[in-house]
Amino acid sequence: MELNLVIQIWLASLFTIWIYSVAFRDNDFFKFAEYTFVGAAAGHSLVYAVDNLRRYGWDQLMGGAYLYIVVFLLGIILYSRYHPQYFWLSRYPLSVMVGIGIGLSMRAVVTAEFIAQIKSTAGIKLVGVTDPIQLFSNIVFIVLVLTTTYFFLFTFPKAHEGGLGVIPRIARYGMMAAFSYSFANTVLSRYNMIFGRLDYIYNQWLPLQGAIIALPIVLILLIYAMLPPEKRPWPKKQ
Amino acid sequence: MSGQGKGIWGYLEDIPREVLYAILLVFFVAPMIYPLGLPVPITANVRKWYATIDALQPGSVVMIDFGYSGGGEPELGPMAVVVYKHLFEKEGVKVICMSTSIEGPQLWDKAMAEINPSRYGAEYGVDYINIGYIAGGETAMAAVGKDLRATTSTDYKGNSLDQYPIMDEIVDASSFDLLICYTTGGDQSEGWVRQWYTVYGTPYMCSVLAMMVPTMLPYMNAGQIISVTSGAQAGEMESLVHAPARGIKSADVITLTHILCLAYVLIGNVAYFVNKSKGEVK
Repeated sequence: MELNLVIQIWLASLFTIWIYSVAFRDNDFFKFAEYTFVGAAAGHSLVYAVDNLRRYGWDQLMGGAYLYIVVFLLGIILYSRYHPQYFWLSRYPLSVMVGIGIGLSMRAVVTAEFIAQIKSTAGIKLVGVTDPIQLFSNIVFIVLVLTTTYFFLFTFPKAHEGGLGVIPRIARYGMMAAFSYSFANTVLSRYNMIFGRLDYIYNQWLPLQGAIIALPIVLILLIYAMLPPEKRPWPKKQ
Repeated sequence: MSGQGKGIWGYLEDIPREVLYAILLVFFVAPMIYPLGLPVPITANVRKWYATIDALQPGSVVMIDFGYSGGGEPELGPMAVVVYKHLFEKEGVKVICMSTSIEGPQLWDKAMAEINPSRYGAEYGVDYINIGYIAGGETAMAAVGKDLRATTSTDYKGNSLDQYPIMDEIVDASSFDLLICYTTGGDQSEGWVRQWYTVYGTPYMCSVLAMMVPTMLPYMNAGQIISVTSGAQAGEMESLVHAPARGIKSADVITLTHILCLAYVLIGNVAYFVNKSKGEVK
């Protein structure tokens, strides 16, 4: 195995252990890993930002697309926000960016996120559905769509009291079920990530020379770092 | 409530999180060392995803967005790898990759090292290519869809796209028969619906973090996405493609840890209600 790959695996594994150690208790190894990650991520982004400027801006400008001067100017003006007197200038490039973003989104957002969704909801069938589970699912769907719409549309107190109070209560249960589905999926995601990292340590790092000896040392050092200073066996406080 | 006479339920309600995490860690590690080989049931969405790729004809061109970050690699990486393997098995299918995530090109390299395209007879620039990270999020999707060559003229290594035969007939979104997106960001997975499916009608599938699936399902139910899967379902895809790897291995671990998670929830709730009935709830 190449040396750079070996170093990469060692670092990745150590940083994984240090980062996850915060689940047990905050410690200096975690802090070191956290700050290193933030620094590395910032450096990585900066390199890519410069590369993007070259790739999408500078190269085009040098190729004769002189309209890119305007783009570069707008980019530079963006930094005027750090100047107390000329900060207002930064609003111009910002408005161009927001305008482009909204324009691009809006051209499809009505179709993609309103018409298609409403069409799909309105197309839920109750008649002619032979599968009883599907039929039950469709009934639940329709009930929850109607009650949840009621919940958010009719917000005045009387709409949530007395006999009518049943409707927002059903909506609340439905929304809680939806949120719990999302939460359960979040747990699944997190577990998958932990498994991925543990699998990496087990299959990539531990087979490497010296890793089996390093692992207990790393863990002992971590436990030491997690102890409050007064409980550490060494150095003894005078 | 004092520690004395707390009772078993009192202790169970107050288990320190360190202990809970330590038990969880055991449940993660044990099946990795002693695999149980639990069955992996295949869900309808994964079957639909598999069938869509299987139905691709020779000459079809697929666009893949490697839009996930390093943090999402353990979940989405196995899915990206196995889908690439399936695509490479399909004769004459060309795969063009781009990234809406800044870490995408590095993660693509990692995936390629795992796949080893030469094993499938796939050649860079002929059967597959990576045009790199394209900044701008949804703006990038719109720009690539409108005119790919105007958006970028080089691949991720900085080489001119003109030298690669795979790029010969690629103009815009209409040049693609299928769009696949792996992402850890909702903006990307939803952005492709807005910028490619809605505008050009490009068939679209996405694999996202499990926590994002509920957000994406309405798009699938509305017919805007063919199939939505979570990266956690990579094991199912590996079973269908007959390429067991990281996804299958995670099945035992995920099942056991979720059983433990349910046990935690159950114990916590029972302890709460028992203590409440005794009037010992804090």
